[in-house]
Amino acid sequence: MTSTRAEAPEGAAAGSDRADIGTAAVAMHADPRFRALRRRLTVFIFPMSIAFMAWYLLYVIMSGYARDLMSVVLFGSVNLALLFGLLQFISTFGIALVYSRYAARRLDPLSTELRVELENGDAAGAGVASADNRDAEPTTMREAGA
Amino acid sequence: MILAAETDAGRGVTITLFLLMVAATLYVTVWASRRTRSATDFYSGGRGFSAWQNGMAIGSDYMSAASFLGIAGMIALSGYDGFLYSIGFLVAWLVALLLIAELLRNSGRFTMADVVSYRMRQRPVRTAAAFSTITVSIFYLLAQMVGAGALIALLLGIREGETFLGMDADTAKIVGIVVVGILMITYVSLGGMKGTTWVQIIKAGVLMSGAALLSLLVLSMYGFNLNALMTDAATASGEGRSFLEPGQVYGVEVAGDPLQTLWNKLDLISLGLALVLGTAGLPHILIRFYTVPNAKAARTSVNWAIGLIGTFYLLTLVLGFGAAAIVGHDAISAQDSAGNTAAPQTAEAVGQALGGVGLGAILLAFIAAAAFAAILSTVAGLTLASSSSLAHDFYGKVIRRGKTTEAEEMRVARIAAVGIGVIAIFLSVFAQNLNVAFLVALAFAIAASANLPTLLLSLFWKRFNTAGAVAGIYGGLVSAVGLVFFSPVVSGTEDSLFGAGVDFAWFPLENPGLVSIPLSLVCAVIGTVCSTERDVDGFARLQVRALTGAGAAGPDRG
Repeated sequence: MTSTRAEAPEGAAAGSDRADIGTAAVAMHADPRFRALRRRLTVFIFPMSIAFMAWYLLYVIMSGYARDLMSVVLFGSVNLALLFGLLQFISTFGIALVYSRYAARRLDPLSTELRVELENGDAAGAGVASADNRDAEPTTMREAGA
Repeated sequence: MILAAETDAGRGVTITLFLLMVAATLYVTVWASRRTRSATDFYSGGRGFSAWQNGMAIGSDYMSAASFLGIAGMIALSGYDGFLYSIGFLVAWLVALLLIAELLRNSGRFTMADVVSYRMRQRPVRTAAAFSTITVSIFYLLAQMVGAGALIALLLGIREGETFLGMDADTAKIVGIVVVGILMITYVSLGGMKGTTWVQIIKAGVLMSGAALLSLLVLSMYGFNLNALMTDAATASGEGRSFLEPGQVYGVEVAGDPLQTLWNKLDLISLGLALVLGTAGLPHILIRFYTVPNAKAARTSVNWAIGLIGTFYLLTLVLGFGAAAIVGHDAISAQDSAGNTAAPQTAEAVGQALGGVGLGAILLAFIAAAAFAAILSTVAGLTLASSSSLAHDFYGKVIRRGKTTEAEEMRVARIAAVGIGVIAIFLSVFAQNLNVAFLVALAFAIAASANLPTLLLSLFWKRFNTAGAVAGIYGGLVSAVGLVFFSPVVSGTEDSLFGAGVDFAWFPLENPGLVSIPLSLVCAVIGTVCSTERDVDGFARLQVRALTGAGAAGPDRG
């Protein structure tokens, strides 16, 4: 499904990277559903990036400046520094997992919907679909309202 | 302790495995070359790789010989700080996963510059991007090839003062560099991305199974009691408990010199920043996201890579501690002062302990072959990234202003691969005494400074424009390289490039990231604001493409 849809532009865009879905995309940028998609993406990725960077930098800074604390032995030969390091592994695996689930649930359905619509030329009900023929890709304009 | 490779039988096993590895990878390359017809095949492997295949290849690109042997060696000799280094390398993948992989896959086709230049004037931006791509790749390539020469000599057990097939150690290093260089040129110019990706997948399999097997054997010697292994490692290191604590290499506290202590600690933070932000700006990693059919597959392939790389670094932790405990500090540093042979030495010692000299020689040869595969595949990825950028960005869009045919661009890319390979061989032979770890850290610092900020701004900042992108790339590139040039790495200290006699160092840190990353951002913002150019529609098209995947380049048919 994904691959068949995406094939046409590959051929059409071979000569120029700018030739793409054209003005329909500009209209789509203002579409409330696209705004919602972008908000769903950014409310996840930006705070999460700040969080894991802060968590990682805390680890690096503590490795530099809080050596006494990092040297506290928890059990056997395992000290806080080692535990903190292993927690970085766990948090990395965890964030990757959480993001993938979030993306599959909250991002993928909406982005697929918008992509299919754009590539079929039903530009967001905004009535500008007919302008979407810059690179002469085969589009079916079912709702060319303009 | 003497590596069994120095005995003729052991060396025979090692060389046989090396040749097997070369034969298998060349076979795959020739196979792939028959299936490389279009530019999409050459640059992006036809975009037909599955997520797990690409995940293996990404991991493979990343788990270079420098990180396999280097990190295991660093843990073996310096304990905890080697582990700290590997954590930066792993966490970095979250930047790639959350901020880069899918958006880049959707909005670009072959190179990083496709995305950055999308809504800008093509020629200046692509020139800048090609410049930084090639600079990062060449530094990284130098690191790998300089390391490769020394490693092959060591893995074959050729020491100073000895000869092998009439070569002394120095000649053997040069021969090693030239052989690796010729192989890498062959993989890339014949096989393109398809050949290179399959070489990476083979390598990932060999390296992971080698590391897993060896770690299991090490653990089995300690009854699978990690705590006992660590206690033994700390005791054998002669450092006691502080072996398991930070501060052996990074952020060293110099008694009586608070200023130097401050610089050392800032250096640690600077390195940490470059490691975590550099990965998502490495051109040879970025182009890997184009080899899968769509953005979702790009996401899944990063997840595979995170799993693979994370597991791998946990295995290196076991290997490093195992080396410290079983082989011992003195035996490791006697073989190689940077500890690069710790993993092969451990393989031999474990084999001998469990099954006698014969098993020791076989395990050693196996790990040496895995390291050899690691060298070959990483240099191939780097050569491909730089030749793609040279052919697609510089030749195709700057010199020929986008009026090339696919066949012509592909021919240029193949020639570029040969050219870059020859230059890399030449530079590596003359740069043999450069410190490998420093070259890797520098490549990451440049990638984090020149590439990542411009890439993110181009995806998320509406106002961003040509002047900003150009200022950001050159600002990051020049400041990262410039600051290192005036750092204690290049002059003013015993270990520096010019020795203690020449001193023009005024920048106190060895790692430029702490200054050059923010500086690049500032350059990008100032450059943008100083120019009146803005392309609101272009930004809208780029964001819609990036987020929805509409109009994204799909896989080749057939």
